[in-house]
Amino acid sequence: MNAPSWTTVLFWFFAAGGVITGYRVFRADSMVRAAFFLLASFAATGGLLVLLGAEFLGMVLILMMAGEMLVMAIIMVMYMMNPAGLNPMFMVHQHRTSVIAAVASFLALAVLPFVITLPARANPRPVAATAQLGTELLGDSMLVFQTAGVTLLATIVGTVALTSRRGRYGDAEEGSKEPPLEEEAMESP
Amino acid sequence: MNGYASAGVAVVLTGVALAVGIYLVAIGDRLLASLVGGGGIGWRTAVVRPAQRATLLLLQQRLTTEPSDAPGWALAPAFFLALAAVALAMVPVARGRAAADPATGFVVFSAAIALVMIAVFLHGWSPDAALPLHGAYRYGAQALSFQIPFLLAMLAAALPAQSLSIVDIVAAQDTVWNVIRTPLGLPLFLIVGASVSSWGPVNLADAADIAGGTSAEDSGVGRLLWQTARYGMLVAVAAMGGALFLGGWWGPLLPGPFWVILKTVVLLLAFLAAGHLLARVRTETFVVVSWAVLIPLALVNIFFTGAFLL
Amino acid sequence: MGLSAALRAFAAGAEAPIFAIAGLGARDAVQDLRLRRELRLVDSPRSASILLVAGVVPEALAEAVARAHDAMPRPRASVRWHLDEAAPGGAESLRASVSASATDDVVAVVRRTFVELINGARDSEPAILPDVDPAPWRGVGPFGQGGSGMTGGRPFGRPMAEMGDDRDGLRLDVLPLTVGPFFTRLPAGLTLELRLAGDLVDEASLFPNPFAGAAVPASRLRPALRPFIRALSEPVPIRELELARARAHLRWLADALVAQQLESLGRRTLALAAHMMPDDLARVQALGRALRRTQVYRWSLADVGRLDGSRLEHLGAGPVARAAGLTEDARTDDPAYRALGFEPVVQSAGDTAARWKQRLLETMQALDLAARAGELRTEPSGRIEGPRGLLTLDSAPSDRLAPLVPALLAGLEWSDALAALISLDLDLEESAAVQPAAERTVA
Repeated sequence: MNAPSWTTVLFWFFAAGGVITGYRVFRADSMVRAAFFLLASFAATGGLLVLLGAEFLGMVLILMMAGEMLVMAIIMVMYMMNPAGLNPMFMVHQHRTSVIAAVASFLALAVLPFVITLPARANPRPVAATAQLGTELLGDSMLVFQTAGVTLLATIVGTVALTSRRGRYGDAEEGSKEPPLEEEAMESP
Repeated sequence: MNGYASAGVAVVLTGVALAVGIYLVAIGDRLLASLVGGGGIGWRTAVVRPAQRATLLLLQQRLTTEPSDAPGWALAPAFFLALAAVALAMVPVARGRAAADPATGFVVFSAAIALVMIAVFLHGWSPDAALPLHGAYRYGAQALSFQIPFLLAMLAAALPAQSLSIVDIVAAQDTVWNVIRTPLGLPLFLIVGASVSSWGPVNLADAADIAGGTSAEDSGVGRLLWQTARYGMLVAVAAMGGALFLGGWWGPLLPGPFWVILKTVVLLLAFLAAGHLLARVRTETFVVVSWAVLIPLALVNIFFTGAFLL
Repeated sequence: MGLSAALRAFAAGAEAPIFAIAGLGARDAVQDLRLRRELRLVDSPRSASILLVAGVVPEALAEAVARAHDAMPRPRASVRWHLDEAAPGGAESLRASVSASATDDVVAVVRRTFVELINGARDSEPAILPDVDPAPWRGVGPFGQGGSGMTGGRPFGRPMAEMGDDRDGLRLDVLPLTVGPFFTRLPAGLTLELRLAGDLVDEASLFPNPFAGAAVPASRLRPALRPFIRALSEPVPIRELELARARAHLRWLADALVAQQLESLGRRTLALAAHMMPDDLARVQALGRALRRTQVYRWSLADVGRLDGSRLEHLGAGPVARAAGLTEDARTDDPAYRALGFEPVVQSAGDTAARWKQRLLETMQALDLAARAGELRTEPSGRIEGPRGLLTLDSAPSDRLAPLVPALLAGLEWSDALAALISLDLDLEESAAVQPAAERTVA
């Protein structure tokens, strides 16, 4: 196997893919398309992370973003007066502000490669990157973080369970509806 | 990290396994349908009919709706099939050997399962029609609900191996299979596996009450690819279930690959039987049970596994 | 050429995918096609090669038939199946390249058409309707919005989302949607107008019965209905009536099972219904056990679409009323049935699961009655207990149940709403059969 050339090809594939799909996020005319282009951009970034040897980070990025982007698409559709997200709509507003913000953040990030010192030697190839990462991030607090995570999850589920049952017009299970002004619900139209 | 096959071998192996698996599912489904429903069909018919139907779909016009998202609609089935292939490639086929065994195979497989929701949503959203769209949003609710219990169930399977490599996870089952160490893992995994393939009682996205859901507007090669991808995902999930919970290549006397195939076939039969013998679950029931019952059960499962290991 | 022809010949061996439209008198005949292995009844015209239009289809449905035809992918063909040769009737505009008569073997005709279509001997049919958009893509909306920009106005006439009340108090988009007249899970001709809030039915209403209006001679009705219509005015053997009732219940169950994704079990039920005899009781009981094992009563239908007995009183709603605890049954007034010691079976839950169980119990009861009836005949009194409830000379149970539909469906998820609607077993043909030619309509 000719490893270096493959890596180079993949790098350019993911790099170009990430930039192009990132650009397409703003040119798409639909909330769902924009969300999925953003996902494609994230997936390309995940690919780059895998190429860098951070397999776990790359794959977790893709794993998490799949759910996130679907949630984002659904919530956007919920809030917009756009039936099921099918009608076309502009994804860019406040053009001038967004251009300035985009240029500023690009410059801020583009400075980074010039100011940080990269390690001179390449990493030895089979590294236990996942375990090192976990230790680096959480250290001795691993158990505390895990417990807190599960507690938070339970809290979220519990909160939803407690609040979603009763709607404005009665119990959710009963399919409650706004009561009609007159007793005519049973009549045929 | 002991089992990278060469890239060419891995691709061919995965492709052939997927194709054979898909065809076996198609045959098995027909045989079971005639077993449960009566009106028996012969072996010959059961073997030939799927190929005939596939050819018919290839000859058919592929219709699109006028305002459809054409790239998304064309891409979704291919994406789904690719995810099935990625998931299947992670499954170890013999002692220490898998088509691909990255150190994070566990996460790669989970990511493939998570990305199915994008494929299904795209497939239902693209045709711009009411019933597919309904299926798409319904799958969104379903997939977001099973994601957490699924990952927790998978984690319990990875716990004994203390590794995220699938080969390591199977290797750690040399004495005790995970189905004993994490008793709730396999049922949880099977529910999720049927859901991602839109199969049987948890087929809510392509459900009968919305006339085929996300595939209601499909015709021709688009329909063929989508159904193929669903079957392919079922094969991948069954194979992975055998590896994660039933000890993969471990088994007495016979060589490893035989056991892998046998366990895959057993789980596939369970899926097929469920498809013909169990009624569709209500969406609301599925979502409520996922959040309120399966998550706590999956946590209990992890604690049980931890206690077992200590 | 050689390869293409070989592929075509090979593909022609597949089950012919047909989208069937069952007009007046054809519902059971079309349903029986599910038992044939050479065909496959599909859910959507998108996956069909053959459109089968069976029985009498009124002019009001002609355009919908044409739209179903045009939705099929090429190569496509349509087959017109006349079940009543003496009086074909129905819409004049329904032309079809192939037609089959009541005496023909329709499966053979469809197969032949399909094979010719695939191997190229028969040309694919052109579209019937002109290919025009109902409204322009990027049309301008009522508030001047659209054409371009933020919301794109009214694409294809699709309105902006409207605000509607959801059951948990959130105001969400409401999507208007018309289901029918050929929605595969409902009887042909039944059209439902919905306003959906997500998965929830916000409002539902039924369209008028398209079969109503014209006088329907008994010879055009499907054979399963005829004994009950006859029994309104003449004595009919109880054995015949009860067997017809058992078959009607199982035919309903065969369709209802498909909606719960139990197609194979549905085929088994249908095979049983098609050749039912009184000594089939054990097989019906076995079917009931198999049904219970599918968990359909537990995780699919329990607590779905509950109808209180108080709303069903004096509606003559048959199994639907008896599933909710009412003992209404016109058979109790008939001396012949009293001689057999007939007592109505009753359940209390009143939900969709109870209606399923009720129909199974009544099937078994009907078989038992048929076995014991001997030569007993009914006393004609102008009213008879049909499989769906009280049938009189001018009113069918479906007419009386239809007004309950909007209130029953509102607030349910679509799959529950559909299950509840199916469990009412609305029968447009029966209601057209007993209707005087006045202007009354369903709903």
